[in-house]
Amino acid sequence: MSTVESIPKKLPGMDVNKLGKDLYEVFIGPQHPGSGHMRIIIRVDGDVIVEADPDLGYVHRTMEKLAEGREFIKVIPLMERMAILDACNITLPYVEAVEKLLDIEPPPRAKYLRVLLCEINRIASHLYGLGIFGVFLGHSTMYMWPFGDREVFVELAEKLTGARLTHTYPVPGGVRRDLPQGFAEDAEKAIRYMEKRLEEYRKIFLDNPVIQKRLIDVGVISKNLAAQLGIVGPNLRASGIKYDVRIIEPYEVYDELDFEVPVFEEGDAFARAWIRIIEMQQSLRIIRQVLEKIPDGDPLHEKFWAKAPALYKKVFEQTKRVKLIPLYANLKVPEGRAFARGEAGRGEIVYMVESNGSTKPYRVRVVSPSFRNAIVFRYIVPGHRIADLPAIYGSIDYFPPEADR
Amino acid sequence: MLVDIITWPPLFQLVIAPGLVAALVIVIFILWFERKTAARVQMRIGPYHVSPRIGGGLQLIADLVRYSFQEIIIPKAADKPIFIGAPLAALVISLLPVVAMPFTTVPKYYPIPMDYSLLIAVALSTLSPIFIIAAGWASNNKFSIIGGLREAFVITAYELLIVITALAGGVAVLSYNLTDIVVAQKPFYKWILFTNPIAALTMFAAILMATSGFPFEIPEAENEIVAGAYTEYSGLMYGINMGAAYIKRFAYSLLFTLIFLGGWLPYEPSSGLIHGYLIPLVIVLVKSTIVMAIMSFLRAVYGRFRIDQALDGAWRIFIPLALIGFGIALIEAYLGVYA
Amino acid sequence: MPGKVVYKKTPKPRFLDAITGNLGAILIGLKYFANPNRLTMKYPYEYPQLRSNYRGFIVLDMKKCIGCMSCARICPAAAMKMVKVEVEKAGKKKQMPFPVINYNRCIFCGFCVDVCPTEALYHIPVHDVVYTNMEDMVLDLEKFQEKVESPSVKEGVPVRYLFDPDKGLVKVPIKEGGGEE
Repeated sequence: MSTVESIPKKLPGMDVNKLGKDLYEVFIGPQHPGSGHMRIIIRVDGDVIVEADPDLGYVHRTMEKLAEGREFIKVIPLMERMAILDACNITLPYVEAVEKLLDIEPPPRAKYLRVLLCEINRIASHLYGLGIFGVFLGHSTMYMWPFGDREVFVELAEKLTGARLTHTYPVPGGVRRDLPQGFAEDAEKAIRYMEKRLEEYRKIFLDNPVIQKRLIDVGVISKNLAAQLGIVGPNLRASGIKYDVRIIEPYEVYDELDFEVPVFEEGDAFARAWIRIIEMQQSLRIIRQVLEKIPDGDPLHEKFWAKAPALYKKVFEQTKRVKLIPLYANLKVPEGRAFARGEAGRGEIVYMVESNGSTKPYRVRVVSPSFRNAIVFRYIVPGHRIADLPAIYGSIDYFPPEADR
Repeated sequence: MLVDIITWPPLFQLVIAPGLVAALVIVIFILWFERKTAARVQMRIGPYHVSPRIGGGLQLIADLVRYSFQEIIIPKAADKPIFIGAPLAALVISLLPVVAMPFTTVPKYYPIPMDYSLLIAVALSTLSPIFIIAAGWASNNKFSIIGGLREAFVITAYELLIVITALAGGVAVLSYNLTDIVVAQKPFYKWILFTNPIAALTMFAAILMATSGFPFEIPEAENEIVAGAYTEYSGLMYGINMGAAYIKRFAYSLLFTLIFLGGWLPYEPSSGLIHGYLIPLVIVLVKSTIVMAIMSFLRAVYGRFRIDQALDGAWRIFIPLALIGFGIALIEAYLGVYA
Repeated sequence: MPGKVVYKKTPKPRFLDAITGNLGAILIGLKYFANPNRLTMKYPYEYPQLRSNYRGFIVLDMKKCIGCMSCARICPAAAMKMVKVEVEKAGKKKQMPFPVINYNRCIFCGFCVDVCPTEALYHIPVHDVVYTNMEDMVLDLEKFQEKVESPSVKEGVPVRYLFDPDKGLVKVPIKEGGGEE
């Protein structure tokens, strides 16, 4: 009979630790109301967590391998399923990388339309994050209100693209639909509604003494530790580091828009809740500017649009739907390797697309923001109490399908 | 003759009203009210489809029927007698304080002599938590044990608060007899709620702590420990557990009504069954339902505290407040406000 | 004028914030308790009237199809397959490929509709169709040309959601012959 001592200390890929006398091992597993679709293995001494081990991979779908067997345009709906909440933010850097390989640039109107949908998706994604944050703290109103208000923006996105969540909006060369009638008025109404609601969120959630006690000085990530761990997104900006891809390497038309990027310095869960609310306010501002400044023009690059038959132009006039020429099915992309990154709702997402001249990519590598944030569980959670685990989990806005791809 | 047997006070108060039957009816109403209230605040409708014309009122009956038909799964490694017996005992013992509460001034309708009824009611109300801890231990599940331990910790927070604030009511009137306490609050402005609001607020918070009301819903924190001590229960046992928490809240709110809200005032019970017993009883039930409804509304507004923050708040903020309330009651007794 | 960085601090709770914070939260709760703002659609007694550009189920118009097979080539989920059928065109009989669809796999991305050079495939604004077994979801050429019907149309009342600056979305039942967007 083997004892604990006879098991080798380090098997490849497995940590074997002897459980201390007073420690209790609890599996916050996939079937748990406070864990999302992942497993966290915690060791508890009384009420204090001594060790936390995130066990990723529950929703691993081998997206990078599947992308090697599909044509370039078919990879777009595949990659979108990584984080369906902000679909445009997730697929946009991939489309930009393919455009870099093809050496084309979309027309200005397409760029503005992409930014419009990106910001609508960013608001929807932040509202989802706040909703999950609320329910992890037991605040059921803060669960229902963001999800109800998210409905407004999902309807707005449906008006623009024709689908509520799975937009598949950017394609190499431009976008797939143009603005329908009456979109600007509806967007203005939605923006005014949301600005009023953000004040109410503040009153019931951020100024609520119970929530303040739960969140202040919980899960503090100091500036040095944030840089060492390599976390991204609003979590990084809440710790004092000013890093946002929209200002460091502006893509699309972010260098022509006027917006603010908030940076907080405390680094606790309260700052992470505040930063999402302020970012939503700035996104509303960007949507207003885009609708004012949008220029006229073609929605697709002229390589794919100028020689299109007259039926395509007629359909576009009537229904604002952009028809794709059959070339898209067998798009041959020249050899090369391209990088592109963007700022999704949860952080920075990086794509590397490598092509060897055929119609299918040779390699697509994606580093998703939630994967880089997963390290917070291992290094920040120990030392807190069991009840702080959902608070920290909700505050970093971790989304398991995005991390597991 | 039959009416005499049914209205024999111990039987009537323990089984019919405000005992088992009335408690179940009121708990069903309060659960429906809680779900509807939370839904109104949260942009949705709440129970609807079961009986659309009365706003889904029969939803809870449908839930009860469903729980009755669901299979009760008992884990193999659980401690069977305690696993089954603990929730049932908790349900029954949560109702015990009712036997020490008067609902009229006519001595014929007292279940027990009411000379020390305040002390007996408070003492009986402290009996039930041990069964929740036992249920958590018997389930043989790590989450249940953590839930049971949290219940044990929370007891140290709220029990002292309930004792001190209940006694504050007694001290102001200089009597342990709940009938004297109610009768002394005769004019409307003399309700102890208005002359000693600090004690009333503290007892309200203590009742929330005792019965897992938001913001103190700690022993059964769903997102941290699944369902706390009740994790392994299914079927009718699950329904009994949920009901036991609310029945405990009902017993406490009856005590709160009698001490702070003037019981059956402004009605004066005379002799006879209806005027002497039933009408004051209904008035007390309505008042305590209003108290429970306010507690249910707080569900839509608050999150939940951490266990150490709840204990910290109880010992640093609420016990000084309770002592201040007790001091105010002493001053009132000295000044002869309720003489 | 790119975006600029703004440094902020979270507001620290002050002494009286315990009381005003609690009161503020309770008052907001009471405000919505007295005047609720409900979005719920009582499906299937009410069903949403979808806009005309909604990416719903796909229907084939066989007369316009030229058999170029672009739709089957571009489908990301491999839901489109071509079958060869004998048709008569310009007096000559020949075998032409036509698409059929497998709704088990379709993700409603709309690539096939967008790529068809003759607009032979089009979307209809229907999104909730009931099939009782999986074989029924693989449509053959006959069924692919019919417009599928949603079961909620028979019994329900169509509603539409309009944007509103006070309530977000307002549910409006559509009267007979009322506007469709």
